[in-house]
Parts: sequence; C-alpha cells; structure tokens
Amino acid sequence: MFERDEKLDRGVELLKEPVHLDPGFDRRVMAEIASAPRPRAWVRPIWAGIEWMRRGRPVTVSPLGGLAMAAGVAAVLLLGRSWLAPGETAPATATTAAPGSVVQFVIVAPAASTVSLVGDFNDWMNGATPMERVAGNGVWSVTVPLEPGRYRYAYLVDGTTWLSDPSAPPALDDEFGRPGSVVTIGEL
Amino acid sequence: MRTKRRLALLAVLVGLSGIGAAGSAQAQEARLEGRVPEPARGEIDAVLAAARDAGIPTEPLVDRALEGASKGADGQRIVAAVRRLDLELRSSRDALGLQSTDAEVVAGASALRAGAQPGDLTELRKSRGEQPLTVAAAVLADLVAVGVPVDTAVAAVLALAEGVDDTEYIAFRQNVERDIALGASPVSALGVRLDAAAEFAAGDQADRSPPQRPRKP
Repeated sequence: MFERDEKLDRGVELLKEPVHLDPGFDRRVMAEIASAPRPRAWVRPIWAGIEWMRRGRPVTVSPLGGLAMAAGVAAVLLLGRSWLAPGETAPATATTAAPGSVVQFVIVAPAASTVSLVGDFNDWMNGATPMERVAGNGVWSVTVPLEPGRYRYAYLVDGTTWLSDPSAPPALDDEFGRPGSVVTIGEL
Repeated sequence: MRTKRRLALLAVLVGLSGIGAAGSAQAQEARLEGRVPEPARGEIDAVLAAARDAGIPTEPLVDRALEGASKGADGQRIVAAVRRLDLELRSSRDALGLQSTDAEVVAGASALRAGAQPGDLTELRKSRGEQPLTVAAAVLADLVAVGVPVDTAVAAVLALAEGVDDTEYIAFRQNVERDIALGASPVSALGVRLDAAAEFAAGDQADRSPPQRPRKP
C-alpha cells in the first residue's frame, strides 16, 4: 500500500473540482479565430513550420526505445511524486505505428499486482500479453507488433477489473458490458 | 453383378459422407473450443462457414466471439454480437466493393456501427480513389465515439477525403479529441480543425501553383 501525504491529497482534491466555462466561451473563441489576421505570403513558410510542429503525429518506436520512454516517464513520476491516489488509474497511451511496426501500450496503475493487455491481437486471452512494471511507481508497459487493421482491446487489472484506454477512442456500443478501446493501424 | 454394383455405389456413398463429415469437422473454429459453450459454438461455426463462402473476413467474427467469452458474456449474447457484426461486414464489403481489403471492410463496419450509411462508404471509396480507406473509415467511427454527430463526422471525413493522407487524418482526429478534452464542444472542435485543414490545404495549393508570368507594359 502507498502512504497518503498532504501534497498528494491536495492534488487529488484539486483534480476533483469541476471546471466551469461560461456559455459564451465557444462563441468568443470562434470569433477570436475568425478575426485573427491571415498570414502574409512571406509568413506562410514560417506558419507552415509552426503548424507542422503543432500537429499531432503517430509515433513509431522500437521496443527498446519504447521501454526507454516508459522508463523516462516513470523517472519523472518518481522525482515529482505521483498525483494519483492509490488505486486510481491514469490515462494510458497507445501509439499508432506504421505497418509491421510495434505499438506501445502504457498504463499507470499504482495499486495493481498484475496488468494484462487483451484484445483482437491475442485472441482475448488473459495472460497472453502481460504488461511489465517499468518502475516502482505503477507504470506498466508492453509493446505489440500489429499489422494494418482496426483492433479492439482492453486492460485487465489483477485478472478482474476491465479498463478501457482513456487516451484512445472507445469501442463503440460495447455488447458485453465491459469497457474497451480501439487502435487503428493504417496501410501504406 | 447387380449386387456388386449396388455394393460399389454404397461404398462410394459411405466414402462421400465420410469426406463430408471430415469437411464439417474442419469447419469448426478450434479457438472457440473450451471458450464458447455449446450450442452457441455450433451457431457461430455456421455463421463463420457462411461468411467464408461469401468472401467475408472471418477473423473479426472469431475475435468478437472470443471477446465475449473473455468478458464472461453468455452464449446467446455472443452469438447475437457475432451475427450483428457479420451483417455489418457484409454491408461494408458491398458498399466498398469486392476489391476492398479485409482491414478496409472491418473499418467500414465500424463506421456503419457508428451510424454512417453504406452510401457514405461508397462515396468515401470514390473520393479516396486508390488510397486505402482503413484510416478514413476508422476516423469517422472515432469522431462519433467522442461525441461528434454522425452526419457531421461523415461530412468532415468526406471533405478531407481528396486532400489528406492517413497521417493527416489521424492528426485531425487527435486535434479534435484534444480540443474536446480542453472543453470545446465536439461540433465546434470539428469546425475549427476543419477550417484549419482547409486553409492549410489552400495554402499548399497556392504554393504549388506556377508563378504568373509578369505582363509586359
């Protein structure tokens, strides 16, 4: 079990507070966007560069690179103390990869003893793809090679608790009463 | 002589029935054994056999059955889910055409599950030309899953169909999801990102057009 501390509790309370947006928020943002000056011709390459940097992209990682990244995340969490209360689960990350590459799945589940990745790619077999605890702070990771296609999956914590991946699109209209997510691998 | 012929005919019939029995035994999906209870397993095998004959990908049907089994659903619930997916896969394949890959048919079925019409998939096929449809159809389903109304999602995916590649489709979806997570309404987020994509594409087009020759005075 984890010891509770004051900083951790403050963080949890802060996250629980609802965020209030006034009803005119959307309208003001849209008006602001509409009134923004259009970039001149010589600005376009710079603007395109900024757009390129801002745009989200699928990331292809090698298994080794993926583990190194996960270890980096774990190190940050270790240094700064997690804002998660024991038993809470943070959003997991699944990266979309090019065909024939490896997709990394990461989840933060501090209180879990075991975490399994189950999905279309392993016949939904509990234990077929166990996730490894990367560090002592509840970060679990596994990499899976996937061919082009659309896959449904979920995380199974301690063999009993089903979790979807908060960072991935949810599986629509789940027919079996348990949460799930989807990942799509494009074709070249 | 006649008795010999009758015996030979009987032997052939027995042999043929044996081959038939062996064939039907082979048609059973081994991965369902011990995971999906009878009689559900037999019903799913029948769905799989019919799908195989019709050229429908059977792997997603097996996956759906295994998902149900893994999640503890009862047999009839699993059969209903497999049958429903079978219909969606058939509809998707019909809408996308016989040349579609299995991945495209599966993604198309997801779009249909999200509420798109078969005609939307046909339109998407036409707009995308030779480009694969897997990601485009999947993005449509994903946008609906995060709260974008289906008609709006269909219009957005079709609007982007001619000008963007798969990577840009994924980036578009991620940007919309990010905006929604930050508090924007799904429709607003989609509109803003669609405008940005259109403006960016227009800029690209302008940059590619040949410079105009200066007029003589």
